Amino acid sequence: MTLFLKIFLWFWLAMATIVGVVFLVNWSTQSEPLARQWQTFVGEAMNVNSQTAVQIYENEGVEGLELYLKRLNGRQRINSVGLFDRQGNRIGGSLDVRETGDLFDRGFNSSEPQFHRLPDKTFAASTVNLSDGTKLLYMLELKRFQAPAFFTNRLLLQILAVVLTAGLVCYALASYLTSPIRKLGKATRDIAAGDLSVRVGPELSNRRDELAHLASDFDEMAERIESLIESEKRLTRDISHELRSPLARMKVALELLRGRSNGESDTLITRIDTESDRLNELISQILTLSKLETGSEEFSRSDLNLKSILESLIADADFEARARDRSVETVKIEGLRMIGNEQLVRQAFDNVLRNAVLYTEQGTRVEVSMEREGTEAVVTIEDHGPGVPEEEIDSLFKPFYRIGEARDRKSGGTGLGLAIAQRAVRSHNGSITARNTGNGLAVTIRLPVSEARSASPAVVTTA
Amino acid sequence: MGRSMEKVLIVDDDEELCELVSEYLTVEGFDVDSVNDGEEGLRHAREELHDLIILDVMMPKKNGFDVLRELRQTSTIPVVMLTARGEDMERIVGLEIGADDYLPKPFNPRELVARIRAVLRRIEKAGDDEDQAERLRSGELEMNTSARSAKMKGKDLGLTAVEYDILAELLRNAGQVVKKEDLSVRVLERELSPFDRSLDMHISNIRKKLGEHKGGKDRIKTIRSVGYIFTTEAN
Repeated sequence: MTLFLKIFLWFWLAMATIVGVVFLVNWSTQSEPLARQWQTFVGEAMNVNSQTAVQIYENEGVEGLELYLKRLNGRQRINSVGLFDRQGNRIGGSLDVRETGDLFDRGFNSSEPQFHRLPDKTFAASTVNLSDGTKLLYMLELKRFQAPAFFTNRLLLQILAVVLTAGLVCYALASYLTSPIRKLGKATRDIAAGDLSVRVGPELSNRRDELAHLASDFDEMAERIESLIESEKRLTRDISHELRSPLARMKVALELLRGRSNGESDTLITRIDTESDRLNELISQILTLSKLETGSEEFSRSDLNLKSILESLIADADFEARARDRSVETVKIEGLRMIGNEQLVRQAFDNVLRNAVLYTEQGTRVEVSMEREGTEAVVTIEDHGPGVPEEEIDSLFKPFYRIGEARDRKSGGTGLGLAIAQRAVRSHNGSITARNTGNGLAVTIRLPVSEARSASPAVVTTA
Repeated sequence: MGRSMEKVLIVDDDEELCELVSEYLTVEGFDVDSVNDGEEGLRHAREELHDLIILDVMMPKKNGFDVLRELRQTSTIPVVMLTARGEDMERIVGLEIGADDYLPKPFNPRELVARIRAVLRRIEKAGDDEDQAERLRSGELEMNTSARSAKMKGKDLGLTAVEYDILAELLRNAGQVVKKEDLSVRVLERELSPFDRSLDMHISNIRKKLGEHKGGKDRIKTIRSVGYIFTTEAN
């Protein structure tokens, strides 16, 4: 449940409850007097009506009375009317006394109007005197007392108005409280997605509360991150240029020196040349890693034939491995394609492959397979080497991480290969994991595949 | 070389590197001049006193791309660009605006000399081919190897030396796939390496200059991960 909904519903519920309770209290304290007021009102109306009825009876006889009483039916919630003498004889009207209980006697014995309530109707009775003093009983059958219709409608309307107003106010309150949070959330996501120019300040500039402070703090933070990333980008660009310029000069100077040397120093010159190549390679890898980690560069993507990429890399790696009495062999490679950056994907495969060739024992082979699992291409590269201590397996993909002291720099690897492979695979929404097989290390790369358009490796296009 | 010393102009803001490269190239038998900024480089290049220009990309004031772009408006003088290694975009942009070849920094000067010689050899071929003048033709495209001219409907295409050689190679084998590896060795005089996209860039430039068949199809088809075919009007 969102914060907005929580605030909105809770406040609304609270307001509605308060309003409800107030109404209930009012209702319960008012309903008694109300019923009594009604009874008084009915009693007074009965007095007037009964006296009129008696007068008409005395002047015009039973026929006139009947006419008058009939006219009363249906008026003011009256179902029927009856005029009775002391013996219980109905002089006029249509009222049925069977349901009236003891009302008949109570009516005769009291000077006040009497009532008899049934679930669906109310009987009322009051005495009336003829001009000769004879007491008669005037009885009414009324529809059950209800609050008049206009009254209940108005109540409903009032409750509705109050609840709706409360709802509106709560909505406004909740959105006032949560909208800056939502804006902050959106800005945070934008920054996470790489857009560092996002600021929330301008949108919340008319507020002066804790959230506005939070927003300005957020902006300061974003500002700082942006300038840090910017300077990092500039730094990597500068490193690329500044470190390579001396290297470039050194290589030319070395060749000049080679030309002048009498042959004695040639091996050393070659050595210096090799080391400067390594340094240069290291600079390249650091740059690649930094680009991948900061996401500072957009890598172009295209439709890649994973099978042909992998096969060409295996051929190269095998060629190099055979020179050292090792080999790289294909177990099974399915024809799969993906959308990605060719250079990065190649580099990921190549780095893992080279690492495997480096550590597999003399005379053994590195096995490579690629299979489809669901929507993923699963590439497994397995060596027959010493493996990696179980507790260090997660550190394998850290930059410059070397397993134990035993694994020295025997090959001149930079210690960045697997770290770059991991970042490259991740930038393609894939994953890379390593596990010990018992007689070596198996590295598994998973990459999302695109649907194969054609099984043949060569697709004619006019790209 | 049977000719007089070839004149090379180095345009790079790194003065010390210029000195070292000059020294190396002089030993290799070139006549070398060097300038240290783009503006001056452009001025010297336009005088057409040199046979080839080595142009650095990263320079203050006017960078190598801008220099090349302006130079190409008036001149087809061979240009080898020096780019920062690993900056894939830089290499490709250089070829797109008409560099004949590129070399990532730091480079081995022997490699630089090899590239320079390869580029210059292409130009010299024009003279050498005269005896065995070859006329290639397909539809409205006409190439004359003695004049090193490529004309479409009688109009010169303005191809650079590399582009000319690639197109000639494709045209000789019109209708057949020419492997990238072979094209690289025969025209660029080097083995194809996995990340080398220079052929693709040259092909893309040639395509732009050639235009399409009437039906809107490219004259040069890419056969992915294999090579290219020059298609004739009929197919």
